[in-house]
Parts: sequence; structure tokens; C-alpha cells
Amino acid sequence: MKGQRTAALAGVVATLGALAFVQEGDTPQESPDAAAETAAVEPDPRAQPIAFPHDIHAGEFGIDCQYCHFSAERSVDAGIPPVATCQGCHLVVQGRNNPEEVAKVRDYAQRQEAIPWVRIYKVSDHVRFPHMRHVAPDESGEPLVQCQECHGPVQEMAVIEAVNQPLSMGWCVQCHVERDVSRDCAVCHY
Amino acid sequence: MATATEAPRGAVAHPDVGSYQQVNEDVLKILGRPGRGWWILFGLASLGLAVFAGSWANQIINGIGLSGLNSPIGWGAYITTFVFWVGIAHSGTLISAILFLFRAPWRQAVYRLAEAMTVFAVMTAGLFPLIHVGRVWHAYWLIPYPNSRFLWPNFKSPLVWDVFAVTTYFTVSAVFFYLGTIPDLAAARDQARGLRKKFYSVVSLGWRGTDSEWHHFGKAYIFLAALATPLVLSVHSVVSWDFAMGIVPGWHATIFAPYFVAGAIFSGVAMVITLAVPMRKFFGLEAYLTNKHFDALAKLCLLTSLIVLYAYLTEFFMAWYSGEPPERGVFWNRVFGPYWWATWTMLVCNGMVPILLWFKRVRRSIAALFVISIFVNIGMWFERFVIIVTSLSHEYEPFAWGMYRPSITEMGIVLGSFGWFCFWFLLFTRLLPPVAIAELKEVLPAPLRSRARKEAVR
Amino acid sequence: MSGGIQRRDFLRVVGASGAGATMFGCSTENVEKLIPYVVPPEEITPGVATWYASVCGECPAGCGIWVRTREGRAVKIEGNPEHPVSGGALCARGHSSLQGLYNPDRLTGPMMREGDGFAPVSWEDAEAQLVERLGAAGGNVLLVTGSDGGALGHLFDRFAEVTGGTRVEYEALSEAPLRAAARIAFGRDVVPAYDFEAARFVLSFGADFLETWLSPTAYGRGFARTSAIDPMGSKGRFVFVAPRLSLTGQNADEWFPIRAGSEASVALAMAAVIAGDGADAGPYADLLAGFDLDAAANAAGLSTEEIADLARRFVAEGPGLALGPGVSGQHRGSTGANLAVLVLNHVAGNIGRSVHLALPDQAAASPSYASLESAIGSMRAGEVSVALVHGANPAYSLPPAAGFAEAFGAVPFKVSFASALDETARLADLVLPDTHPLESWGDSHPRPGVHALRQPVMRPVPLFDARATGDVLLSAANTLGQDLGAGDFQGYVRARWQEMGLAGGDDFDGFWREALRRGVVLSETGEEEDAAALLAPDPAVGFDVPSLDGDEDGLALVVYPSSRFGDGRQANRSWMQELPDPVSKITWHSWLEVHPATAERHGLREGDVVRVSSPHGQVELPVWPYAGVREDVAAVAMGGGHTGYGRFADGNGVNPMALLPAESEEPSGGMVHLATRVAVEATGEWRKLASIHGSGHTQEDRNIAPAVALADVGQAEDEHDEHALYELQEVGGFVSVPADGEPGDFPLPGARHGEYDPETTPRWAMAIDLDKCTGCSACVTACQAENNVPVVGEQELLMGRDIQWMRIENYFETVDASHVGPVDVRFTPMLCQHCGNAPCEPVCPVFAAYHTPDGLNAQVYNRCVGTRYCANNCPYKVRVFNWYEYSDVPEPLNWQYNPDVTVRGEGVMEKCTFCVQRIRDAENHAVLEGRTVPDGEVVTACQQSCPAEAIVFGNIRDPNSRVAQITASERSYRVLDDLINTQPAVTYQRKVTFHEPAAAGH
Repeated sequence: MKGQRTAALAGVVATLGALAFVQEGDTPQESPDAAAETAAVEPDPRAQPIAFPHDIHAGEFGIDCQYCHFSAERSVDAGIPPVATCQGCHLVVQGRNNPEEVAKVRDYAQRQEAIPWVRIYKVSDHVRFPHMRHVAPDESGEPLVQCQECHGPVQEMAVIEAVNQPLSMGWCVQCHVERDVSRDCAVCHY
Repeated sequence: MATATEAPRGAVAHPDVGSYQQVNEDVLKILGRPGRGWWILFGLASLGLAVFAGSWANQIINGIGLSGLNSPIGWGAYITTFVFWVGIAHSGTLISAILFLFRAPWRQAVYRLAEAMTVFAVMTAGLFPLIHVGRVWHAYWLIPYPNSRFLWPNFKSPLVWDVFAVTTYFTVSAVFFYLGTIPDLAAARDQARGLRKKFYSVVSLGWRGTDSEWHHFGKAYIFLAALATPLVLSVHSVVSWDFAMGIVPGWHATIFAPYFVAGAIFSGVAMVITLAVPMRKFFGLEAYLTNKHFDALAKLCLLTSLIVLYAYLTEFFMAWYSGEPPERGVFWNRVFGPYWWATWTMLVCNGMVPILLWFKRVRRSIAALFVISIFVNIGMWFERFVIIVTSLSHEYEPFAWGMYRPSITEMGIVLGSFGWFCFWFLLFTRLLPPVAIAELKEVLPAPLRSRARKEAVR
Repeated sequence: MSGGIQRRDFLRVVGASGAGATMFGCSTENVEKLIPYVVPPEEITPGVATWYASVCGECPAGCGIWVRTREGRAVKIEGNPEHPVSGGALCARGHSSLQGLYNPDRLTGPMMREGDGFAPVSWEDAEAQLVERLGAAGGNVLLVTGSDGGALGHLFDRFAEVTGGTRVEYEALSEAPLRAAARIAFGRDVVPAYDFEAARFVLSFGADFLETWLSPTAYGRGFARTSAIDPMGSKGRFVFVAPRLSLTGQNADEWFPIRAGSEASVALAMAAVIAGDGADAGPYADLLAGFDLDAAANAAGLSTEEIADLARRFVAEGPGLALGPGVSGQHRGSTGANLAVLVLNHVAGNIGRSVHLALPDQAAASPSYASLESAIGSMRAGEVSVALVHGANPAYSLPPAAGFAEAFGAVPFKVSFASALDETARLADLVLPDTHPLESWGDSHPRPGVHALRQPVMRPVPLFDARATGDVLLSAANTLGQDLGAGDFQGYVRARWQEMGLAGGDDFDGFWREALRRGVVLSETGEEEDAAALLAPDPAVGFDVPSLDGDEDGLALVVYPSSRFGDGRQANRSWMQELPDPVSKITWHSWLEVHPATAERHGLREGDVVRVSSPHGQVELPVWPYAGVREDVAAVAMGGGHTGYGRFADGNGVNPMALLPAESEEPSGGMVHLATRVAVEATGEWRKLASIHGSGHTQEDRNIAPAVALADVGQAEDEHDEHALYELQEVGGFVSVPADGEPGDFPLPGARHGEYDPETTPRWAMAIDLDKCTGCSACVTACQAENNVPVVGEQELLMGRDIQWMRIENYFETVDASHVGPVDVRFTPMLCQHCGNAPCEPVCPVFAAYHTPDGLNAQVYNRCVGTRYCANNCPYKVRVFNWYEYSDVPEPLNWQYNPDVTVRGEGVMEKCTFCVQRIRDAENHAVLEGRTVPDGEVVTACQQSCPAEAIVFGNIRDPNSRVAQITASERSYRVLDDLINTQPAVTYQRKVTFHEPAAAGH
């Protein structure tokens, strides 16, 4: 907010420079890597509290996305698994690669504490993105949109990151145009 | 024009001007080292500019709430001042382009001044919509540009037309202004030294005053004049449609376009007088800006005043004749409601004071004209205030009627905008010949012509 | 911007939220944490609302509520449709309960007095201190509590018992005289139940039953059902008999502006007339036979004929229902006045018909001022060692002359259970903050046969370390060695319910779960009470017009409960402060109502600050001339002038209690409110009233709130053919858009383009019945709560920057205090009309205002640049602008924000969206379930809240929808329809009047 105002202030001096902002909304968000570089000395605030490997869970074991992200089908939010869900398997599964990370899960469970996952995906607050409408099955029973179409090949990611998609309006609209679904503003903005 | 062999019919004689050389000297001496008076004025203007910039910056940081605007009255002093400056901008092009096309040679003494005023006034006016909006950092969304969101401005909205109208007008009038100054810049170049010489060399684009140059110059000038002429009518028509396209009682009237154009010319001419009188005095241009020039301006003023007065009366008549309670209510409220003082200021300044201009003695009295022109300037500001504020304050829904009072921030910006305008205008008086040298020479007695030509191209 | 540490802590407790707080929320700079549930609460899905049934705690009416929670925090309160009191509706004060929950002035923990101030202490220390003092008190314990007919009240009684102390119930708005009258008249110590729906002729002697009296939400619904025109074309009549026309009075068909305090005279005179016509007056026959009608009429300032005529109509047009007098009419003869009204009801045969005297399931004490008066006496005499205060704020709500503060100060150890420091808590030695009702257990038994449970709808707001008073008392009793039957208050409530034996079978657990789920249990009421026989008159009760203190030339001072603050307890809520008073439309501060003629006589204009002085005190406040008070009356609302209640309340307005004597009425013990005359003199100062009203009270000859006479209903006139626009069309103007577009049309013929598909998409529309609307303004606050509508504050309102999406316009067509006659106040809820031919849309340069395919006039906040052109061009003036960052509110008020609605930032326009988030939610679910959205599934917040059921919303393109059918009514019109061709989606149904409205068309 303040940043925008400062920018606006600069605009008083060079109002016509506004066109430079044309692509503002479409600038990809800073990638986690770039952030990691700048914060090399201090512990990376974007580092996940537990090195959860999506590639092993979703890729190798082929666990369904909605097993953990349990409310995607019926809610606007996809849902983050409660510790109990993790614990459900990891009570017995020791974790062959990284037992120390799995141990962390148990610690959280023991302490009855929530795992402070770092949020990777967030649409702006003035946008409503109902997961349920996007993963709802089409006539053939397949989800209208595969999770990977927006979230990338999560099943191949050792560390989750936002890939290939800027979460910008142009990106959303592009898909809505291609699929010939509503482009009415008040479908997402209200 | 360079091919004229004698002074055009209707040209104003300058009995006190002896030679072309004297013209050059008289006018170009203004460009020399500024005196104390200029510095004082420039300091005042800079102060105004600082107030202007400070108030605006404060408003951007803290919010548009710093204005006095409110729920029924979403437009107030900013839009009033926007229309005011757009109006001021009108006479420049009118005097230089339309009067040029109509071959009214008395324009020559004042047109440079009027054009400069136009350019700076549009520059001032153009800032006000930006000042006015709630989120200036998004104002660029009004510009049509391709983007990934598949979003365009709404071409139905008069505000988008405004963007086009004002930017077009600014572009054309700036080019027209610049084009007209090139020969004079060359003249200045020939007299200047040092850094100034470099500056004038660049901006005069290597003008040498050859026949072919004059030939092309003339063509370009008449072409741009023709291009600018419809803009004089269109810009303020478009601005008037901001209101006329609305359904607000008091705005929704078909006469708005001609009414606004007349008002714009009225206020613009008044502003030319307001600026010309002190300039004439300070720069000793009595020989060039004569009583006759002022007389002509005053006549133009009188004519447009009558048109404006007629428009006022038409509005009242139509409101009564429509029989619609909201229309009648808003016009009754204008005259007898809480904003009666604004309405009566407008009526007295624009409709009654200019009646004095019927008298030749008044038209020939510089002092009287100066005073009247100030009245008109004030009156025309209030005309826009009355149209905007009183209409919005008294709309369809009686429950939602409201009152508005400009805040300190608004007053700072509105008054500061005069500082911004004067800042540029004062720079102009020092950097560009405020009276068109070349064209003035055209109206000087013929016998001097050949010698003058030589001097001009020297 | 609100990602403060507290909010994150909160999220850690309750779970993940996908919804942020503002539209400008940053995404890259801040690393946001996703906090999942440790153990998944089975009933909570992130992003999906969970509803809990509970009981509203804002007034003793005990409305059943549903609380909407998202990710474990309460975001909206609605009425519980299964609860017979609220019937699904909720008043504005009920909505504001959320602001009590998230009030930034709530205490963050227990506090102990330290010198002049307070120091925080731990709960352990605080409770130990409490126990120690109680143990040492030797039975000299005083409990001052509010009225609670449920388990908490029971616990208070038990606690007083085991500590050897006394309990005093105190409610500033007390119905003690009414109960006393019922006791005297029928021998039953009950507050009668009034059945509006059974009545066809309602007669109120000043009882403000639509605002604060007893159970306003229930009465609002009942009243609207009986007084609005029914499909048969008949309409119940409502006559208001009082010196001041309250909001309730403004809904009347006729007004008898009687002299202050003369209700008994009128009621008995009416009863005498009816009895004279042959009705059975029972033991009152003699009294009525000998009643001096002329003297009574004289006392009331009426003519005998007017009274007789009213009495005969009351019977002839019956069944009747006489109510009152209300709290503002409590005077030195209040019991007599109430008794007179009950006698009138009896004589007119209303007892058992519209007035019921069923005994409650649990006898509750009658909260009266008299008992507190004696408690003050004993405190002053040093007979109290420990005083406990809960649910009452006598330091504020009593007249200073009562000497409460001084007497309370004399008590060695004073404990307050207030959740925020109020005027009384500030005097205490120990403050043990109570949990908010939405965080607490409890129950209520508002009517015989109605049992409701209150349950915590969320974990206590972690910012505030509060404990339920029930728990504290139980634990204290336990430490003192007294077993009250349960370890915590939840168990106590449960045990009480087990005792009541409502479960029927053996499966109490199942019953309990079901009761919690539904929130209310209905039981057989047992005996029908028709047998209630009128007892012989009590010679001690007189019916004379009471005396008033003060100068004979002064104005009788009417002090009435505020429909926004009640007795003042809702004052520290910005929503309530900013809710325009339904009568004066003034916000934030107090005002003095005097008749315009009186004002003129005193040389006063609107806004002149006057000094109002009575023999007991004086206050200064601005004048608002109001034709709805008698010329010899001045009126002030309660609830203003707090001195230590919180940031939103303190310093706003005046507390009229300063003008009153501290006096209880005999024999009821009720507080005397109508007690004094006041002198009014100008101070020479002037202040602008923070009113949202922009004009005089007339429609200025515009088609905004027309009315139709009852006699003309059914005689449909074809006035639409007279449209001037039609004539223009005939000569070739305006051809592209027809002037007679139907509300269901969008896009209008000839304006079709883009994605608009009129065949399949709905056209959302609303119908508002002005014959039902009572102007109570519940919808305004409901909308504010649902749609994150901010609060702008008094300074901004003074500049005219009100931002509520709904406003109730009130036009005073006929309001005349000079004589008996019709009243005609037109209430028009004004909201975005979602015009089919919207003037705001074409002028927006960036398409922030545009039309959706389903007929909504959308406002895309994040596209808005803030030119405000749309607001200028809106003829209904329903577009409001964020001049500043109004959504910045003190923590944790922002927790209330509805995560389904964007919080708007500075510089953008906003307005009613027809609750588009609810439409989208219904559509999303319908699509997932492979069905269409049925009529009635989308309910807007205003519609949901309306006690009068005046608002109907739906798809008007479906001919079977309710909205389509109501819109087809001959009473329908669209505001300003013959002036501008906007084709609104909102149709209004004309108000129906008994008299010929002055300007029927306009």
C-alpha cells in the first residue's frame, strides 16, 4: 500500500511515466530461489519447517492430492492437512530417506502443535478462487482442471514451489478464454 | 503571409514603432537578464507551486478524504478548476488559429501570449483529473493499451473522451505554439550569447528565414491552424459532455456544448487581458499592445458574455418549462438555496459586469478592462462551481441532499495551481519572445519591409 | 495490513484461512504461514461456513440465533428460524453482538485495584482473592446482576444462598410496573405475552414494541403480519397514544398525542365507554361506571368523543390488543397506568385472545429499581462486605441522585464481572472479565414452553483472557466448600436441563446434542390461562395523572430507551454509534427533541446547543426540532454520555439520567422515568448534527415513497400509461430503450450484447414491501456485518461521508402533534437498485461499474480508479466512497470481517452487491450437486434480518419465484420511475394507509 503511494508520489513528477506500469499486474512473483539468494545469511523465511517431499508422497507413492488437501472438492480452500493426517501414516512409516524430518512431524503431533507451513500460493485478497468449481468433475468424470495445470508437476517436486504461473489476472483469464468459460468480472471479484 | 505586400486590412497600426530593428530590440530585450520584479513574481509562483505539490503529495499519502468532497457531492473544487483551466486554454487557440484563419490581424500582438497561456493552462488542467481520482496510481487505466487482462477503457464514458480530448488538444496546441515561435527563436538566437545561444540554436531548428522556409512555415502554420480550429470547439464540448451525459438535474442539458465553448472563450479572453495588462506594463510593450488590441479583446469578451448569459437564462427557462420537480428544484436551489452566493457571484461577474463593455470608454480603458477581466475570471470559476456543486447537492433523492465546502487541501491545490501556471508563464516570458516578432513586422508600414527582411534573416 | 502478530497467533489456534483481510494485502513481502488444525474438528472445513445455534445476549428478550463461523471465528449472527421469538430475524443490536465479542476495549485479563488504577493479576491470584474475601465476608455479600431467567440466574441465586448473601436483579429497562399490574389485576406475577397476529386493532400507550419494549424482534414480525395488507385486502389498524411519536408510533395509522402521563385516564375512559356499551367489566364495573369521562379526556388533552370513538372502534374492529405504557412512560403512577391498560384489555375481551398470562416455567424475580435502592442503602450503611456486580452498570444507568457510586465505594471489596471496564467496573477493586455470550454457555426460557441453549460458537478470543462468570462462581463456591452440583458452568446448565425433564426418554445425551444443534426446544405449555380472572381493584393503586417535578412552564421530559443502545449497554460499538437513529437519523451524539413550534418559541434552530435543566441536574445537547413530540414535551434518548465505557462510547452525547430523580414507583418498585419538567435555554453554541438526512422530511414531489389508500387497493389505476417518456417515444425520442421495461428484463431489448444470455441466466431482483417495513434498521446493520461495510466515524459523517450500503429514508408525510389524527411516515429502505439501464455503468471509464449477465450491477473494487462519476450519476445516491482507509480497525475488530467479501481499501467506490457472495456460494453448490438454485436459497443479509419480512429476493425471471409474484402486485412501483428510465431490479410495494394519502402518486 505504502509502496504504491510512494510510486504514485513519484508519478506526480513524471505522471506520464505511468505507461511503464503497463505490465505491472503481469510481473511474475519473485521466485523462491531469488528470495533465497537475497537471504543467504539469515535462515530463509521461506524455508518450510519440515522438508516435505511432494515427489515422494504424490509421485513415488501416488497419494491422491485430495487425500491431504482434503477440502478442494467441496470448498473454496483446498485445505492443508492437519497433523493428524501426517501422523496417520508416520506413526508406522519411519521415512527411509529423511527419518529426522519425519521425527519432526511426530514432535509436532506430540506437542499438539500445528506445523507452520509456509504459504506458497496465494491469490490476491480481492479475488475469489473456488477450488471446488475447478476440480469438479466434467462429463467424463475427470476434474475440469487437473491440479497440476495450475500448481505445476507437484509430484516431481522435492521442494514445493510456484512454477510457471504468475497468479495474475491475465493468466487466469487466458485459461477462461481458452476453455470458453465465464469472463464476467463478478465471477471472481466481489 | 510573408508574401503580403502591404499591411492586411484591419491591422492595428503601431504609430510608435519606428523600425523592424526596434521591434527586435523591444521584444528581445525582455529576454535579457530578469529584473527584481520578475524574481519576486517568480518566487511567488514557486511558492504557489510548492504549496500545490505539497498539498497533492499530502493528499496522495493520506487519502482523497483530505478534500471536502462527500457522498452526494463527489466532484467539487478539483473538477471545477479542471474545467476552469481547460476554459482558459481556449482563447489561445481561438486567437491564434481561428482569428488567423479569419484574417483578423489584430491578433498578432497578443497571440503568442495567448498560445503560451493555452499550453500552460492545458498542462494545469490535465493535472486536475489526476488530483481528483481516489487512486491516482491506477489512473493509467484510462489509457487504452493492450494488456493481458483483456481489459479496455469504457469508450462510452465521457471521462475517456476527456483523456483523448485533452491530450489531443495539448499536443496540437503545443506543436502549434512551438511552430509559431521558431522564427522568433531564431531572432533570439541571433542576439543571444553563450549558453542561451546554444539553447536558442537548438530550439530554433536551424531557422534561417529563407523564402522556402517561410513558404513551408506558412503552409504548416495554416495547416495546423486548420487542425486546431475544430479542437477549440471539440475540447470544451467534450468537457461539457462530462456533465451533459450525466443524468444529474442541472447537468443534463443539450445546450452544454456551445454554452461551454462560449464560456471557455469568454474566460480565456478575460485571462489574456489579465495577463497582457501587467506584461505590457512591465515589459514596456505599450507600443505593441495598444488600446485597439484591448478594444478588440473586449468586444470578443462582450460577445461571449452575452452568449453565456443567454445560456444561463435558457437553462433556467428549460428547467421551469420541463415541469420536472428535480430540474426545477435544482435551479430554484441555485438561486435561492444555500449556494445562492456562488450563483449570484457567477451571474454578476459573467452577466452583469461585462455589460460595461458596451461603452467604448470602458473598452479603451486598460485599467477598467483589467478589473473586469478579473471579475470574469472569478465569475467563470464560480460558473463551473455552480454547475457542478449545486447540481450534485440537490439531486433526485431529497434524503441524500448534501452540502460541500472545499477543504484546506483543496484550496491549497486550487490556488497552488495558479503558482504552477505562473511558474511556466514567467519562464516563458524570459525564454521566448512574448510578442510575435515576425508577425508584428508584417503589420508595420510597408516602406520598411525590405530592410526589415534583411535584418530578420541576418 | 492487518497481519499483526495477534492475528497470526489467532490463526495458529483456529486453523487455516484462505481469506485475507484487505484487497491490498501484500503477497511477496510477507511470508504467510498456513496453520492447519492439530486435530481436524470434524464439523469444520476451511473455506466453508459452520453454523452454531445459540442465544443472543444483548437484551432479556432472548432471541435464538445462528452464528456463522469461518475457520473457527464468528463472522455473522442471524436469527434462528426455528426459534419462536426471533423467527429467523434479528435486530440491529443483536447483530452488533459481534462487536461486543471483538471489542478492542475488552479486558485482556483480570485486574486488581492499585491506587487509582488497575494492575493485571493472574486468574489464580484473582480467584484466590475473591474466595478469601467471600470467606471473610461473613454473609455480608451482595450480588447485583442483570436479569437472567436461565441457569445463570439460578446459579446467582444459589451462590447468594450458599454465601449467605443477597442477590439483587437490576435492569435499567424494567417491566416491573407491568408485572405489578398483572399481579394486581390477575394475581399472576408475569409479563403478559402479546400475540400481535391474533389482533386486528393494536393500541399502544407509548410502548415502543418495535424498538426496545420486551421483545422487539418477535413483536416486529407479529406486528408486520397483522398491520400489513393481506392478500384479502384487509389490514390491521394501529393507534398510538403517547406524547412522543417514537419509531413504533411512526408506524401507527393514527396518533393520539396525549398529555404526558395520562395513559391511565385514556385507557380507563375507553374501558368505561366499552363497559357502558354493555361489556363485562367484572370487579371494575363500579369503578368504570362512576368514571368521569370528561375529566379523563381533559387530563389527556383529548375530547370525550375522540376517546369514545376510539373505544368503540377498538372493540368493533377487534380483536384488539392494548399495550403499554412503555419504559419512557414509567411515571409515579405507572402501575396504575399498566393496570388500566390491562383492564381495558379485559373489558374489550382481549385476555386469552391477544394477551396471554401463562405462568412461566420458571418463576423469575422481577428486576426492579426498588430492590437496588434498598441495596444501595445497605451498602451505604456499611452492611455489605463484598459486592459482586454482573451484567449491570448502575453507575451509568442510574440517576446520580441514587448515590450508587458513593454507596458502592463504601463497600470494602467490590468485584465486577464486566468483560470491559464500564462505569461500574471502574469503581471495583477486582475485575474478573466475563466471557462474551458468544463464548459462553447458558440458556434462556423467554416464553412458557420455549427453552433455548446458549453455547460457545468459538474458542474465547485469545487476546482476552476471560473466564465465564458461571465457572468462576462455581469454582469459588467449591473452594469455599460448597458444592453447587457441577464443576463448571457447562455442566451446571446441563444438569439444570436434565432436571427440567425435557428429554422425554432416557437418552439425555442424544437429546442434549439435538438441543445444541437446533438451539431451541419447545415443550408443552401446560395449562391455557384463559381462566385468568380479573381481581378486585386495589384501592392503593390510583389512576391519576402523576405529578411532575420542576417549573410548571417547563417541558415534560420524556426519557426513552434508545433503539440503538437500549439502556446504553450497546454504546461502545461503532456499528451502533453509526447506525442512524431510526427517528432522527442522527448518529454518534445525543439530541433533544422539541416540537418545531416550541423551538420557535424559544428561538432555537436545529443544532442549537441548549442547556436542559431539571431540579435534579442539567445537560447540554443540540436541538432537533421534531413534529412528533407534543409542544409541552422535550425528549432525550438513553444510552449516550458514557464516561468510561470505551473508545466508541465515551464523550458521545449525554446521559439523560442526570436529569431524573432517583425514585421508585409504588408499588412496583420500577424506576420513574417520566418525572420532571425541564427548562430549556440556548447556550449560544451551535453544532452540526451528524445526521445522514439531507433535506426536510418531504419527498419534494418525487415518486420515492408513494402510498395508496386502503379503499383504493384493488382499483388498479393504469397510471403507467401516462409516462411522459412514452410521449417522447412516440415522437421519436428514446426509442432504443423502452420505458416500460419489466423488472425481469436484462439486458433490455435492443441492448443485448456480449455474454448476456437472457434465456438461461437469472435476473436477480428484490421486492420491498413498504407496508411492512417498520424502519427498525436491522437490515442496515445486518448489511454492515455481512459485507464488511466500514465505520467512518462522527467527523466523516459530519462531512456527509456516510458509507452504509443501505439507508432507511423516512419521509414525514403527516406528523402532527397538535391534534388527534392520522400519522403517515414513509420508510423507504434505499439500496442499490441494480438498474437494468443503470446510469452509473456507462460513465465509468474503466468498467469498474458494469452489468453482470445475471442482472447485477457489479462494482469491481480492484478496477476502480475513484473518479466518483458513477456516484454523481446515480439518481438513488446509493454509491458510497472510501475517502480514507476506513477498513483499518483496531484489533481484533477486523476478525469480524467476512472472508467471502473483499475488504475495500481507500479510494474505491462501493455499494450494495445484492450479497453476490451468497449468490455465488449457492451457485457453486448447485453446480457441484448438479441442480439449479431453487427460489429462496439465496437470501440477502438484509432480507434475512428483517423482522417484518418486508424484503424478498430471488430470480425474477422465474415466474414462480416469490419475488416475481410480489413484483406483479398492483402496489408495486419503482422509485423515480416516471422521472428517469433506469429500470431498477428493486420494486417497492406502496404503503397502504387508512386515510387518503395527501399525494398518492408521490
